[in-house]
Order: sequence, then structure tokens, then C-alpha cells
Amino acid sequence: MKICTVLKQVPDAEASIRTAGDRVDLTGVTFVMDGMDEYGVEEAIRLREAGHQAEIFTLALGPKRFEEAIRTSLALGSDRAIHIETTDVLDVVTQARVLAAAVRQEGADLVLVGGKQADWDSSAFGPALAEALGWPHLDWTTRLAITGTAVEATHDTDAGTETVRFSLPAVITTQQGLNEPRYPTLPNIMKAKRKELRKAVPADYQAPAPLTQVGGEVIQVKARLNKLFTGEAVETAAQLVGALRDEAKVI
Amino acid sequence: MLNFDLTPEQKEIHRLARQFTAEQIIPRAAEWDRTETFPKDMVKAAADIGLLNIGIPEDCGGLGLGVIEEVLIGEELGYGCMGFDTIILASDLAVTPIKIAGTPEQKQRFLPPLVTGLGAFCLSEADNGSDAAAMKTKAEFVGDEIVVTGTKMWITNGGVCEIYVVLCRTDEASGAKGTVCVVIPAGTPGVSHNKLHGKMGQRCSYTAEVIFENVRVPRANMLGGVGDGFKIAMRTLDRTRITVAAGSVGVARRAIDESVKYAKTRHAFGKPISELQAIQFKLADMKMGHDTSRLQTLYAAWLVDTNQPHAQASAIAKCRASDVAFAAAAEAIQIHGGYGYMNDFPVEKLLRDVKLNMIYEGTNEIQRVVVGRSLFR
Repeated sequence: MKICTVLKQVPDAEASIRTAGDRVDLTGVTFVMDGMDEYGVEEAIRLREAGHQAEIFTLALGPKRFEEAIRTSLALGSDRAIHIETTDVLDVVTQARVLAAAVRQEGADLVLVGGKQADWDSSAFGPALAEALGWPHLDWTTRLAITGTAVEATHDTDAGTETVRFSLPAVITTQQGLNEPRYPTLPNIMKAKRKELRKAVPADYQAPAPLTQVGGEVIQVKARLNKLFTGEAVETAAQLVGALRDEAKVI
Repeated sequence: MLNFDLTPEQKEIHRLARQFTAEQIIPRAAEWDRTETFPKDMVKAAADIGLLNIGIPEDCGGLGLGVIEEVLIGEELGYGCMGFDTIILASDLAVTPIKIAGTPEQKQRFLPPLVTGLGAFCLSEADNGSDAAAMKTKAEFVGDEIVVTGTKMWITNGGVCEIYVVLCRTDEASGAKGTVCVVIPAGTPGVSHNKLHGKMGQRCSYTAEVIFENVRVPRANMLGGVGDGFKIAMRTLDRTRITVAAGSVGVARRAIDESVKYAKTRHAFGKPISELQAIQFKLADMKMGHDTSRLQTLYAAWLVDTNQPHAQASAIAKCRASDVAFAAAAEAIQIHGGYGYMNDFPVEKLLRDVKLNMIYEGTNEIQRVVVGRSLFR
């Protein structure tokens, strides 16, 4: 079996994000592997530890800095990686098409990727990748069992959970609850140095022209009104209720 | 060529140490401190992911990493809990003398157990610390054995370690010339310890009085020769005090981060106190102290890793970084006001913890002696 884990690198959730004009200023920010994608890497390793003969490879599409997150996946246990380097901002469907071509070229039976990406938050990548590959897909997976090519997996629905069966090859998106990702170990970090990290560019995969282009961005900045009501308690309470009802329209 | 880049592996190690600290150490540090608990499970967890004794050479089962990597780990652990960091760095105090003075046979014998186990370095005694050559613990040669008798004081990891590296004196010469360095496995008959209670800070690190009563080990457990003990101890400390500096750098950064966080939310005179220049100036000084001592610490580590003289640089790093961190912790308490004085907030612990960094592995007064003397040589 070949398992492909797709990952993105995103700002550390602990990092404080600044804005500069109409964009987010990422200088000096610490980046890490997207936590959702980490569940995918962990699940791939667990499948192998559970006895599946599996080669695990990491696939990532993004700028040079993604290398660090890719190395994390190699330190965790991925066998090799392909980094399709680009600084272009590609829409999710275009990203999925590029990566689908890479998955086809490398050959994979199972693709694991985070349920949504912490930086784009579209939840669309996994489904779009499955669509581009013509494979079955399950999103927001919390339990996964594979026997041969038969998959039984549970995922969240609006009403609760649902367990479904399908056959490999397939794309599965991961989320919290699927597993508890391990730490890479120092010995494995050092061993990862010798693993293959191959570089590619989108053109290597006949990248289609983007379907959409970003025309402009506005960053939503929330600021407090700092409105103070002063005077007698009864009077200020009435003013507060008035403001909540007429201005904020929350009551 | 001047280059401040870390290698991809160093970045990854740094990231791992930061993540481990944030997830495992910070949520537990206050409790360990209050209850004086040695976090055995978490030391094992750190060892399991390879954060312990990373300098053990590869042919002895270790990773053979350098002091730069130790600094990167140390500053993160120190950020979370200086006491926890001390458990790890004090273990390296036992690894280092074996590395620098051990024969290949001694390295093969003593280092593999330390890949996952702790070591302890026994130099201080009740009546002598900085004047290490005045130590009283005795070593006698009887046939093929060495018999060690004496009591060592304030021994980090004493009682929870696999091996002790013990500095003792023989009758063969006076002062430093009579000193020897002996490796004593923890289970050797005659070795006992008393855990010390009531420490001001670093309360999760296990500190003990270690007693050696007619402890017999093979003569082959002596590192170097007779008269080498003091030299080995000094060469060890020249190197390991860089990790004390690293922990201090972590404490200083924590003091800054906690203060920035608090200053943004605490209001006075109708605005956050972060907008007051009095607060900004304090934080500016803390940041300047942190950044400059971090550079010196990495510089000293780089000197070791590139086999260059480093005694002066490591003394500067240790003294400067711990002074700076203590001052930063004090200012962090001041910025937090009344809250800073309470243990509901993490800053008072920073001050209690980092005070020790000005004392152990050579007091800061001794560091000034090292630096001062080096100017007149």
C-alpha cells in the first residue's frame, strides 16, 4: 500500500498575527505543520504500525518555507516527500488538480489530508482532490479501519456520526479525535536528514490555469467601541439595554 | 563568513522542544513547584523523544549533537520551567566529564545507560563550592580499587540518577593536584542520599545530599589520572554553564512574554498599561538583555562546537544571561503589580527559579573572576 499525506504549513496557533495595510504581516511568525494535517501523518504511521505494508510519502504545494513542515513529517515517519514549490496563490480546485496529477504519478492507494486548512479554512481541498482523482472521499473522519482494500470509517455529520464503507483508492480528510499525534523524536529528526525531499514545480504536473483569481483583500479588524455609560445605575442600565437593542441589535 | 542560520535539523529540534514545553511542561510546572514534585514521568517522556543527554556520541548509542542544540533545547525548557531544565542540563554535567576525559572503554561502559537515564555531578560539599580544590571527599587506592568516603551537597539528580561523577581528593598531593574524578554507579554499596527540602525555586528538580561511605569501585572508574580531577571539573563547567545561560535566556523570554500579555490587558488611567512609557522602557530593557545574552550564549556554544577556546565566552554568557533573567523576572513582577507577587501568575516563580542560575555551576562572582583574570593573562 502507498499512503500519501498532503500537508500545508501555517502560522503557529500561538503566534500573534499582525496586519500591515491590506494584508497579514507574517514576518517573524513561527510556522508549523497544519494541526489537521498532522492527524493524517499520524494515521498513516499508525496504519503501518498496525501491520499494513505501507510506503508513506508526503506531498505539499506551497512556498519554500513549507520545507520545515515537510521535514517534520519526515521526522514523524514519512518515508519521502515531494515539495511542489510555488509562491502563486492558487484556488483550492486548482491546487487539487495539481496535487491529483502528482498523486497519480507517484501512485497511491490512500490520501490523508486535514479536514480543513488552518490558513484558508475552506474544507474544500479534500473533496476537490477526490473529485479530480475520481475517487471516493470521506470528510471529517474520526475513526478509520482498513482490511485489504476495504475501508470502514466513521465521520461527523450535523446530526451525529455516520459509519460508511468504501474501497481504496480513496481520499480521507482528518480531524481532531482521529488520533493523538506523537512528537517527532530527536533520533528521527536526525535520520530524516537522509530521507528524500524532492523538489518540483506546478508545471511538472501540467498545472491548469487558476479558475479564480483574488481581486482584492480586506482584513476585518474588530475594535471595541469603548462606550461608557455614566450616571445612576437604573439610568445606565436602561441606556445599555437601549444600545444592545437598537445599535447592536443583539436583544 | 557570518551566518545566523540554523540547520533544518536544528530548527526542527528547536520546534520540538518548544512544542513539548508548551504542551507538557507549562501546564504542570506550577503544580510541581507547589508540591515539590520530581516529575519522573515527564523526564521519561523527554528522554523518550530524545531530549536527554543529546551530546552522547553516536558510537555510544547517543545522538552526538553539539552545544548549540543543547542551547536550543535549554532555552525552551527554561521558558517552561527552569527546574525541569535543570534536571536535563545537570545530567549533561555527568556526561561531559566522561566525554572529555574518559577512555574509549570508559565511554562505552558509562555513557550508554545515560541515553535514557540521568546522571549527577558531585562537586559541591557543605563547606566548599566555588573553592572546589578545598573539597574533603576522600579517595583511597586499595589494590585495584578506589575507596570513596565523603558527603556531597546540593547534588542535582542525586538519588534519581544512574551514575554519579564524583570529585574527590587523594593524599598523594595537596590542593588541586591531589584531586581525582571517579565514576560511581548509583547502585554501588555505600551510596545513599537525603532529599533536600525547602528550596526557594526550581523545586521540581531533585536535589540531594549524597553520602559515600567506603564506596568501592574499580580503579578503572577513574577519569584521567591523579591530579586531573579539578581540571576535568573546570573543563566540564566551562562547557556546561553555557546551558545554564540558555535556560536563563528562556526565563528572560518568558518574563517578557508574560509581561507583554499582561500589559496589553491591564488598564490604568483609561488605557492599557502597555501604552505607558514607564512600562515600555522596562520591557525594552528586558528585551535588550534577552537578545544580547542569547547571542552570547549561542556564540559560546558555537565556539565549543567548532573546537575553539570558550572558557571566557561561556563565563560571560552564564553570568550575563542569569543576571539579565533575574532582573527581567523582577521587572515582570513589578509590571504585574500585586498579581505578580501571587503564585496565581507565573512570574514570581521565574524569579525564585532563576536565582539559582546565578549560583550553580560557578557563582556569577566566580564568572567575573574568570573574565577578569583572562584580561590580565
